[in-house]
Amino acid sequence: MRALVFSRRPGQLAAAAVAGRIRPGAGAGVGPIGLRDVDPPEPPTDEWLPFRPRLAGICGSDLATIDGRSSRYFEPIVSFPFTPGHEVVGDLPDGTRAVLVPVLHCEVRGVDPVCPSCASGAIHHCERIAFGHLEPGLQSGFTRETGGGWSAGMVVHPAQVVPVPDDLSDEAAVMVEPTACAVHAAQVVLGGAARDGGPIAVIGAGTLGLLTLAALRHAERGGDTDRLILTTAKHPEQRRLAGELGATRVVAPDELARAVRGVTGSLVLASDDATAGAAAGQLTGGFPTVVDCVGSEESIAQALRVVAPGGDVVLVGMPGPTHVDLTPLWHRETSLRGCYAYRRADFDTAIEVVRDLDLGRLVSATYPLDRHRDAIAHAAAAGARGAVKVAFDLRGERP
Amino acid sequence: MADRRTPATRVERALRSARDAGRRLPSPARAVRAVEFPLRAPSVPAGVEPPERKARLGAAYDTAWARSPAARLGRLALLEGVMRPVIRAVADPERRGYDRLVGLDGPAIFAANHLSHLDAGLLLTSLPEPWRHRAFAGAAADYFFDTRVKATMAALALNAIPIERTKVTRRSALLAADLIDDGWSMVIFPEGGRSPDGWGQPFRAGAAFLAVRCGVPVVPVHLEGTGRILPKGTSRLVPGTTRVTFGTPLRPSPDEDMRDLAARIEAAVTGLADEVAGDWYAARRRAHAGESPPLSGPDASAWRRAWALGDRRSHRRPARTPWPLRD
Amino acid sequence: MPRPGLVLDVDRSTPPILFHHGESFRLEKLPPGRSRIVYPAEPLAPLKDVAGAIDDALDHPLDSDPLSARLFPGMKLVIAFDDVSLPLPKMRRPDIRQRVIEAVLDRAAAAGVDDVRIIAALALHRRMTEAELRHAVGDRVYDAFAPEGRLYNHDAEDPDDLAFLGTTPHGEEVEINKRAAESDLLVYVNINIVSMDGGHKSTATGLASYRSIRHHHNPATMEHSRSFMDRHSSELHHANWRMGEVIRKAGVQVFQIETTLNTDTFGDTGPLSVLQKREWEWTTRDRVTFMGMKAGLDRMSASARRRIFQGWEAPYGVTSVTAGAVEPVHERTLEHCFAQHLVPVEGQTDVLTMGLPYICPYNVHSIMNPILVMCLGLGYFFNLYRGKPLVREGGVLILSHPTPWEFHPVHHPSYIDFFEEVLADTTDPKVMADTYEERYANDEWYRHLYRTSYAYHGVHPFYMWYWGAHALRHLGSVIIVGGDVKAVRRLGFRPASTLQDALEMATDTVGPQPTVTHLHNPPIVMADVT
Repeated sequence: MRALVFSRRPGQLAAAAVAGRIRPGAGAGVGPIGLRDVDPPEPPTDEWLPFRPRLAGICGSDLATIDGRSSRYFEPIVSFPFTPGHEVVGDLPDGTRAVLVPVLHCEVRGVDPVCPSCASGAIHHCERIAFGHLEPGLQSGFTRETGGGWSAGMVVHPAQVVPVPDDLSDEAAVMVEPTACAVHAAQVVLGGAARDGGPIAVIGAGTLGLLTLAALRHAERGGDTDRLILTTAKHPEQRRLAGELGATRVVAPDELARAVRGVTGSLVLASDDATAGAAAGQLTGGFPTVVDCVGSEESIAQALRVVAPGGDVVLVGMPGPTHVDLTPLWHRETSLRGCYAYRRADFDTAIEVVRDLDLGRLVSATYPLDRHRDAIAHAAAAGARGAVKVAFDLRGERP
Repeated sequence: MADRRTPATRVERALRSARDAGRRLPSPARAVRAVEFPLRAPSVPAGVEPPERKARLGAAYDTAWARSPAARLGRLALLEGVMRPVIRAVADPERRGYDRLVGLDGPAIFAANHLSHLDAGLLLTSLPEPWRHRAFAGAAADYFFDTRVKATMAALALNAIPIERTKVTRRSALLAADLIDDGWSMVIFPEGGRSPDGWGQPFRAGAAFLAVRCGVPVVPVHLEGTGRILPKGTSRLVPGTTRVTFGTPLRPSPDEDMRDLAARIEAAVTGLADEVAGDWYAARRRAHAGESPPLSGPDASAWRRAWALGDRRSHRRPARTPWPLRD
Repeated sequence: MPRPGLVLDVDRSTPPILFHHGESFRLEKLPPGRSRIVYPAEPLAPLKDVAGAIDDALDHPLDSDPLSARLFPGMKLVIAFDDVSLPLPKMRRPDIRQRVIEAVLDRAAAAGVDDVRIIAALALHRRMTEAELRHAVGDRVYDAFAPEGRLYNHDAEDPDDLAFLGTTPHGEEVEINKRAAESDLLVYVNINIVSMDGGHKSTATGLASYRSIRHHHNPATMEHSRSFMDRHSSELHHANWRMGEVIRKAGVQVFQIETTLNTDTFGDTGPLSVLQKREWEWTTRDRVTFMGMKAGLDRMSASARRRIFQGWEAPYGVTSVTAGAVEPVHERTLEHCFAQHLVPVEGQTDVLTMGLPYICPYNVHSIMNPILVMCLGLGYFFNLYRGKPLVREGGVLILSHPTPWEFHPVHHPSYIDFFEEVLADTTDPKVMADTYEERYANDEWYRHLYRTSYAYHGVHPFYMWYWGAHALRHLGSVIIVGGDVKAVRRLGFRPASTLQDALEMATDTVGPQPTVTHLHNPPIVMADVT
């Protein structure tokens, strides 16, 4: 069986980090990932089932891993060698089409009694991700034993699958997992400082940005729909999609501060006239909630500049090691909040969102495993190349 | 025993022959002493009164050579290459009022107050084109033209012509008038000498006379600060800052009395001084009201005059860290 | 004797024609047989004795007592003067404003006037910097008045320094600088670089507040100002004249001093003199200078080019100084303006071409951003006509300018937002006036920058766009040659890389073999179209 395998090879990882910095996605060529012929993974217990991926998406966190940009934080919660791929739609042995809920929480790990977080249903907060009868791994696709989506076969725990309705195409179904993230993010956002209305800024119009936008609009559908949502988008296709998915106004990344200032009528704190005039300093006011779907140093700093005092900055994009001046956070009592994954129930909502908004169209290209370098390069430059989600098509793979 | 003398080295031999050659040459002093008439000037026999020699210095010094093309070129080099950098280093001039000269054509008389030897250089380097390289200065015959070296330098560097301080002589006035008629502009200090105490002296009528005589405008100029740098009676330069202010050209009406014009010139320079000390509008107010503070200072005892001068004549380097403002 | 303007029919012997192109130039061949070029008149002979002319104007004013007779001890005197937007490019020192103001002040000093204020009448423009004020009024006046705060920029947003004077019969509110309104005499010192300036507009606009200016700086007025360079056919001026009447009735004593300059913009010697010559009269030396200049400029960075051009000071000659009551003075001034600028042109054209230079009234020492490109082309240059527009209704306007997507963050902060927000949504002056103007005009941040920094008022970019309202309605399409493609599209215009492409594109709108007219400006030329 063929699988893309990511091994622990520090030399190659360092090379990938260098190459990835020069050109995103280049880590696939020089890094420790390669297409191998491997034995299908063994089910850890009798409960586990073999799962044949049909489509498996390439996520931003996968690209960070391939380009050696991942934080050392992940070291204790992944296990090598692993096959990436956690956005997966596939077939169970009984022919059921299902999407994977990749989080490896207590129930999946056979931990009993389950941890307090899992007991409350917050499986993404599971406190046993490195323990139990499985090797460490926060999700399928980051652990040795389960295999991952970028292969002809993996194993899943029955608690890890959600059946896909027949009217949903494979392309739509592969969007369910990332959409579930967005649904969760929307809940976080709408439960925070923006709960009583007020404008929201979404930084970034990649997959996560667009889906978060869609999930926010979906969560408030039927209600008071004139909430102002400002989105930043770099590329024309992103601008178009953001507009379609419900952004009130789409601006270029460097226009965000000015747009927020104009809407809120804020003043600007800056040490010189040019910075002040371009609204490049700290806004005195701002939006109650800023959702950062990029996770870079610049985007976080930008979010802190445009968020209102006492507001929320929600990090939906995975940040990594970052240098941020937290003085404004302290001074303005901003809360900086992470936002990771989902509960299982979010998948049901996600399926609705995907169906209602026809999010299958966001899958811009699919590649066979043989062309994994092209696929990764495409995904790494998705925005510039007019794409959103790039996925591996495994329907032609032999088991 | 072996011969202990070593043969002379090549260097020693060369030195020795050079010394010998030197001895054979006549010494310059001896050669000069040996010169006899007619190579040497004759001595005057006793009992003979030699005839009076024609004066070639002072007011009689002929400066025509200083306006030859070669001298003008030399002056250009001196003015731009030496005088300007020196003035900039020593006097750091701030020049104002050029805008008032717009529309002024042809030769003019630049009349300024006089505080220091620096004034001529400062004023000449401050003149805008086209006047700068076609200007001559009136200089005191008894001071600048008393020796041949000083006279040559004054004529070359300042294009100076000798002016009698004590009386208006025909010769110097005619020369100046001819030069003005030829298209040369004149730089003149109508006070006739440097200020002895930092306050101005009465303006004499020379500039006015020439302006009326030649029908050219007089540009009043006020110089400030040179008195701190090199006042009369010292030879030590204390670098400082200066201000040169050009005033609106005064045009003599054809039948104007030269004493009236002289008064106008003095009033104009007085007004400029007031403008420099305070602000232009206040100075104009006082000028119209005839209340400009006179250049000559208060009519009082010497100490009160010095006192009223304040900082304007402090001929010393300012302390680097003024007490007690140290950190 | 300076030669008058000229309308040249282009034939096959016509050399390539100079187009200004921002901080550079283009030489373009115009199609022979159906093109013509409107050349400006040569600079009129300047006054020989400017000081004498000023004295004469102040001592023998039109419909007024001599200035000296209107000055008395203890009075409140306000001298207002045109701001940095005039003249363009700036004038070699001494600026005519300085010479006039000094003459006025000298009389005030003679009369024993103590309470004098000198105010830059900049309406909603940016404040003038110290260097700019010094250039305009001279160092003597600056040093005498500025340190004590008696020389300053008008502040249209200072609630304590505005006076409401009344309303015109058309319901237009008149609110001007309080200090000026309450003075015993307001002396206005103007420069009429084009016929739009001066008259009642000096005080009614220059010293007014947003509340007042909005009544005539709006799409409806601007569409009915045909053109705003011809005050008798300009709704903009009618409104200002109505306001002038209110100001007069409120008892404000205005002593208007208007001046005109000739078009000696680039001089007859020096590197730029070639720009003032007709192409067939370029000597070998001119051609070498031009090629060297262009080659040098093309190798420079944009900011270096800007520095060079913005540093240029024009050797204008003064052609008239007139003082007295506003209306007779302005009529006299207009005669001088028109004598210099007007060139008779017969009939309209299908396609009008112009090369836009590096400067317009709102980017002195600054960057000509895309909105200003629109304003200069469709506002100022398009309106340089009397009678009918040079281009027929539904015709095409072709502009040449690099149109960079670039803004001066200190001078034009609200322009950035206008470009990013308003123009992304609409280019229709009426729609933007209804939807966005109020928010921009009342934005506290823009107000702060206008009052304390050197920023144009928040509403100013809207006015720039309204300035082109008449042209936008009149034209079939607008093409910009050599512009930043994205910026040109944002303006709602069509980008072209060469003039030939643009002429080809124009045929979509006006049909094949269109007639072409090129407005050879600057130096300023105004077409008298019959």
